[in-house]
Amino acid sequence: MRKLRDSLPLEFRILYRQFLLRVIDLEALSVHADIPRFLGQFASVLVFISLIGALGLLFSVDRLAANDYLAFAWRGEQNLISATMLLVGMVAIVGWDSTFPDRRDVMVLSPLPIAPSTMLFAKIAASSSLLGLAVVTLNFASGIAWPLFIGGHHQSSWGVFQGLGAYWLTMIGVGVFLYGSVLTIQGLTSLIFPRRMFLVLSAALQVAGFCAFLAVYFLQPTITSPAAIGAAENHWVTWSPSFWFFALFNQLDGSLPAELWWIAQRAWIALGISVSGAIVSLLLCYVGTMRKTLEEPDLVPGARGLHWTPRLGNPLQTAVVFFSFRSIVRSRQHRLAFAFYAALILSVALPLLRIELASQAPVPVTSDFMADTFIIVSLAVLGLRGIFSLPISLTANWVLQTTHLSPTGRYVAATRSTLLLLAVAPSWTIAALLSIRIRPLHAVAVHLIVLALVGWLFAEIGLINFYKVPFTCSWLPGKVHILVLFGCALVLLVVFGLTCSEVELPALGSPTRTVSMVLLLASGCFGLWLFNNRQARSAQLYFEEPAPEVITSLGIGPLPQQKHSTVLPE
Amino acid sequence: MLELRSVSKYHSGIPVVNHVSFSARPGEVTGYLGPNGSGKTTTMKIITGLIDMTLGQVLFQGKPIQDDLIGYKRRMGYVPEEPYLYHHLSGLEYLTMVSQLRSLPQREADERIDGLLRMLALYDDRHASISGYSKGMRQKILIAAAIMHNPELVLLDEPFSGLDVGSALVLRSLIQELAARGKVVVFSSHELDTVERVCSHIVILHRGKVVADDSIENLRSLMAAPTLEDIFSQLVVEQDTGAMSRQIADLIHA
Repeated sequence: MRKLRDSLPLEFRILYRQFLLRVIDLEALSVHADIPRFLGQFASVLVFISLIGALGLLFSVDRLAANDYLAFAWRGEQNLISATMLLVGMVAIVGWDSTFPDRRDVMVLSPLPIAPSTMLFAKIAASSSLLGLAVVTLNFASGIAWPLFIGGHHQSSWGVFQGLGAYWLTMIGVGVFLYGSVLTIQGLTSLIFPRRMFLVLSAALQVAGFCAFLAVYFLQPTITSPAAIGAAENHWVTWSPSFWFFALFNQLDGSLPAELWWIAQRAWIALGISVSGAIVSLLLCYVGTMRKTLEEPDLVPGARGLHWTPRLGNPLQTAVVFFSFRSIVRSRQHRLAFAFYAALILSVALPLLRIELASQAPVPVTSDFMADTFIIVSLAVLGLRGIFSLPISLTANWVLQTTHLSPTGRYVAATRSTLLLLAVAPSWTIAALLSIRIRPLHAVAVHLIVLALVGWLFAEIGLINFYKVPFTCSWLPGKVHILVLFGCALVLLVVFGLTCSEVELPALGSPTRTVSMVLLLASGCFGLWLFNNRQARSAQLYFEEPAPEVITSLGIGPLPQQKHSTVLPE
Repeated sequence: MLELRSVSKYHSGIPVVNHVSFSARPGEVTGYLGPNGSGKTTTMKIITGLIDMTLGQVLFQGKPIQDDLIGYKRRMGYVPEEPYLYHHLSGLEYLTMVSQLRSLPQREADERIDGLLRMLALYDDRHASISGYSKGMRQKILIAAAIMHNPELVLLDEPFSGLDVGSALVLRSLIQELAARGKVVVFSSHELDTVERVCSHIVILHRGKVVADDSIENLRSLMAAPTLEDIFSQLVVEQDTGAMSRQIADLIHA
């Protein structure tokens, strides 16, 4: 490995390391640009998921009846391929801008004697490394357990090896296909459109990609027999890439019926188109894109079009709400973080939608529906509150400091408006749209009132001790172990959603209990609102995280009485 | 009047600004000069209230600014040394945001922003992202944001940075016009020629300490130096510039 590394040109190795650092914006995660640490965390989470999957397979195999084998194998294979596709898709989307040079790359590297091809290969190698790591670690255990399982049902003694080859070739094919597709789309758009338009389109495509991957993952039905492929409701499945690769896996494994080879052929064709498209667009675009990047400014808002800025309460509120909205929409880092939460919300909402679409009659109010909508609203509020902590441009904060002319309470009120407008209102609207086919209507109406109050409650919880303008504080989420916090918060939200639904559903049957529930929630919201306003009166708006203590007590004398000591020079 | 009384700022026990005292009066432009690292920008940030001083007092109209910092900020406009702006906003959006943060009445703010954008030749690019602006355009946005609320105190830290000749001439006249209308103007710059033309009062800082505080005429006669550059050289330039340049050329030739 070391020999291979040393055989690579020095410029390539240096550029590769630099580009790997920026495939995912590590500053957003605040791991202090520690690549091995970040990659280690990323890989260990995926290995853990893979081990859980492999253990699940071992336990299931024991109870599997002989005639259930095919359905079980097909379901499992499709799940594994879909999960790999989802992961690779997400990684490709997160590293969306990393294959093409940005303005910084061009400004720094263009004057240096580095061949564009070195830059190109280093960029591709950095992106591919992360994708490769994702594919290998997600399939780390299942990539051994699954071939062993299907190999055991093969007639030949080479079945295990054939399964092993089929499995890994398919997963690598999935990765190559998706990464190639993303590159082709990016390459073509950057080639066709002027850079200004490309930047706007690229941002939209990135968010659309996020949603598309999730939508396909959650809405695609699982096919458990060759006969099910012919069913009318499953017709569109044959147009899904994950199903093509499922067929490819079975073809390589030797278990695909001959009459279904045409589906596997689609995988081969897609792979060919994606790889050749990526190569051609990369070769054609690389030099062109670099020139465009250098020559054309990164102009994001359109010079033409609607520039309507309505007043939202007082001027300070308007300023904070629009500043927050524009930060989310126009900053790549914030847009991605927002899209991540939007994707989580979609992953909760889409299965609900699927149930409602599949049903001919109106759907009754269920605890699942209630729990899901509680999770959607609370996740939206806490997600946005989390994104508020990612600073956008600390050096530009001086303008907020020199225009800090209002008491802190008004800034807190402005942040509250932002949470209500950008998190509670959209998520509540999603819940309301999901309720259209739910009956009885009065129960839906009460639930929507409760949801609105829950949204407000979470907004107030998010504002506790939050005395800053969104996106302006130097505090970074990684400093409090963001992954652990996020995981815990997610578990708590699910528990919260389930508990609330268990409490609300029986209460809907009794008007007294319904009124009590709404009043209790409203008083909770009001109480927290009063608390936050009272606290804000004596609080200072801050832009920097508190500095570490200058004086460290050795504990060998009486403690000083004063709370704040000023360090004076000798 | 703006008055600094023995203002000091220490970083890790090291004095960056050391007992600086001077006054800037309404109707005059006070030039604040000094070599790199002399503490000019730190002093400017102390005057704006962006950073706290370790010792001393800053008074505006006879009152310590810390007594009513919000009231003081309402009356102050500031152009920082570096054009740090929120690049994801357009020029118009940035100025609108500043006007909203200053709670200017909307109609008045719209009129002023519109006028400033037109006069500073930014109107056609008002909807473009600041990330696409040149350094001069960003500087113009900073200047517009600093004066649009008609402040009594104008603090300008290297305001000519990146401006083209025409814009620089306009800004030079604007600074004098603002002072003529009774505003307190403090102007920090390395461009000695401009300072000599614009300022009536000079404060020179060296290693955090004030080494000169007088009118240009008095300094000229006191130091028997015909230009501000000569005065500046006598007071703060320590190295032999010719020898230094030869050493640098020798180093890269070696």
